[in-house]
Amino acid sequence: MGELFARMRRSPQGLLGMILVATMLVIAITGPWIAPYDPETFAPLLRYKPPTFEHWMGTDQYGRDILSRLLVGARSTVLMAMLASALGTLAGALIGTTSAYLGGRADEAIMRTIDAVMSIPSLLMALLIVTLLGKSSVNALFAIGIAFTPGMARVTRSVALAVRKQDYVSAAIARGESARYIVWREMLPNVVAPIIVEMTIRVAFAVMLFATLSFLGLGAQPPKPEWGLMVSESRKYMGQSPWMILWPSLSIATVAIGFNLLGDGLRDALNPRT
Amino acid sequence: MSILSVDDYSLDYAVPAGLRRALDGVSLHIDRGEVLGLVGESGSGKTSLAWAIMRYLPESAKESGRIALGSQPLTGATPGEIAAIRGKRIGMVFQDPGTSLNPTLTLGAQLSEVLVLHRGLAKKEAETEGEALLARVGLRNPAAMMRRYPHEASGGEKQRVVIATAFACQPELILFDEPTTALDVITARQILDLFAELQEETHVASLYISHDLAVVSAIANRVAVIHRGHIVETGPIGDVFARPRDSYTKMLLEAVPRPGHRIVATQPDAQSAPLLAADRIGVTYGRKSFVSSLLGRAQERFAGNREVSLTIRPGEILGIVGESGSGKSTLAKALTGLNPFTGEIRFGGRAIANLRAMDEAYRRDVQIIFQNPDSSLNPRQRVREILSRPLALYGETKGGKTRDVIAGLLEQVRLPAEFADRFPHQLSGGEKQRVAIARAFASNPKLVICDEITSSLDVSVQAAVIALLVELQRIHGTSYLFITHDLNLVRQIAHRIAVMYRGALVELIDVSRLPEGAVNGYTRELLAAVPAPLSARA
Repeated sequence: MGELFARMRRSPQGLLGMILVATMLVIAITGPWIAPYDPETFAPLLRYKPPTFEHWMGTDQYGRDILSRLLVGARSTVLMAMLASALGTLAGALIGTTSAYLGGRADEAIMRTIDAVMSIPSLLMALLIVTLLGKSSVNALFAIGIAFTPGMARVTRSVALAVRKQDYVSAAIARGESARYIVWREMLPNVVAPIIVEMTIRVAFAVMLFATLSFLGLGAQPPKPEWGLMVSESRKYMGQSPWMILWPSLSIATVAIGFNLLGDGLRDALNPRT
Repeated sequence: MSILSVDDYSLDYAVPAGLRRALDGVSLHIDRGEVLGLVGESGSGKTSLAWAIMRYLPESAKESGRIALGSQPLTGATPGEIAAIRGKRIGMVFQDPGTSLNPTLTLGAQLSEVLVLHRGLAKKEAETEGEALLARVGLRNPAAMMRRYPHEASGGEKQRVVIATAFACQPELILFDEPTTALDVITARQILDLFAELQEETHVASLYISHDLAVVSAIANRVAVIHRGHIVETGPIGDVFARPRDSYTKMLLEAVPRPGHRIVATQPDAQSAPLLAADRIGVTYGRKSFVSSLLGRAQERFAGNREVSLTIRPGEILGIVGESGSGKSTLAKALTGLNPFTGEIRFGGRAIANLRAMDEAYRRDVQIIFQNPDSSLNPRQRVREILSRPLALYGETKGGKTRDVIAGLLEQVRLPAEFADRFPHQLSGGEKQRVAIARAFASNPKLVICDEITSSLDVSVQAAVIALLVELQRIHGTSYLFITHDLNLVRQIAHRIAVMYRGALVELIDVSRLPEGAVNGYTRELLAAVPAPLSARA
């Protein structure tokens, strides 16, 4: 693990990605305590304020402090995106590895089903699921997780197929191990590295998908300080106070870039040939 | 004047931990018409030396000393000078013709490219010359061979094309890097004969790199023994092999299998009922596709095994030999339930007709050890977990603590108990194979199938692993099904030998009746092709 960090630090994108993601995580965890104001308290006298010394990023249409809203909202945006990616990754990895392990007709049936699901764009898929389950942050999380599953299953299966041919899997079958043990203990640990890279890059997509769902009014509901929702609400006031839409947009972009860089760095660091 | 002179040449590779020495003060000379055999185990630096002579080193290489071809120094030559030398004055033949030829170009195109580039022939002339060269290396119908792609030729034919390419420009020096290791015994023999013939005719200076002492003793004039980047002994082949001075050379020669030298003392009871009887085992590969079954099309299926019948008695070591693709491993997989099969297996009197009938008792009694421990040990599991699985599955701990049982298993294969906490990548190749052996013996099996278990190991490590297997067999009375392509090795330990050819069993013979007793033509051919053991020549 220590060696991995050392290798990450050597590549510029890995280092920058680590810094950005670490900062975001610190904000997501400590946000509510370091926020200078309450994110949901209306202040009718302080509406549409440009950045000042009291309000570093200005205030919104109800006079709420934008910095505080961003700090508190980081949790529901970044952490939710990571959870959704983890959910999709876990489900996809399990399906992909099992499919590769079973092989033959079962593999064919599973992968063609996955293909069918994959032909629906992930945003459309997420919209469909949220519409069915109802509007809420938790449902959006499930929707994104499910939307990510087919892609992850594909990536995992391609790696797992190579692992399936290794003699340690043959040895386990010859020994009479259960399918569960072979998939969980023999195969999954050996497909983890490429999956982690894929997952990291997908977190960036998840942040944007979350923001998109909230923007469309299907994810977090007002007055929650969710970043996508903030962008959506401030759209109407773009003309008179542009910083209202600027700050949350910049935050979303930063997280997406951070996770993308981290993924690139991880890919290089986990590849023994570089 | 020597064709190739290497003087006090040292090579280091820069690795994150500092410099790693690959070659240490190497000096050697090859004269015209001479074959120098360079013998060493894996990691000894023999291939690094070949690349150093070819001037094809990674950027991390740091070198000192001097390499010269005739009067021209190679160390410090400009890229332009090197390009003029490679292929023209120094030829090279690699280990695996499957990877040294470009799969997207015809064999003819790859051969004539060299002729156009280095001998300045026109395209038409190069093709005619190429055909002559292919005829020279013993390929029938060279014109057709010129138009073929590498996948349309066999391994032996491809290696002949590579040799033709190396000899194409009448180079002064040819480097051979294990040119027969990837080939079957009979094909390898033919390539060696061809090499001797061409060598005689062209008087080229050759550096022949190999780990196989028997091969080197058959073709080289002089031999250099390399150990950890250091040449420990050089001299005429007869001197070095008959009267080795260095302790490493002695150890290496000691480890080479000699068929006359039996190392198994036990004899199975000829009267006892067979432990395992395979009756007309057949394995076919390939799945009938949905579309062709819908259209009622018959599909050609590849037969891995055709009606193989054999028996193994308790305490017997049955050797199975044959070239790659002859169905040896397919049989091993059928017997361990990794391949569906037709026919019937009788084990200890019980009939097993299909995979489902292979219950826990059968799987406990029949264990398999694979060829390559790198792939048969899960890289993400510690030795402790690897060894604890058979114990957990078959309940062999007998009330004892798992920790103690694992220590006992490691002890049995001569490994320290603290290896239990290591990962496979922290062990050497021989140690990994010992862990695999310990895993197979954890369930106290009655039959252990050894599938080429020593072919990925160096000769000295191989000798130790074989000694261990023989010792375990003596203690436990286990039967072995010992699959190998090394006839000399199997004749040392097996009681009977089964010869397989294209999926069928062609001969099953008691080892004491070899070589005279062999009746099958293929068996005789195989026996004749095996490089004669050292003791016979030295």
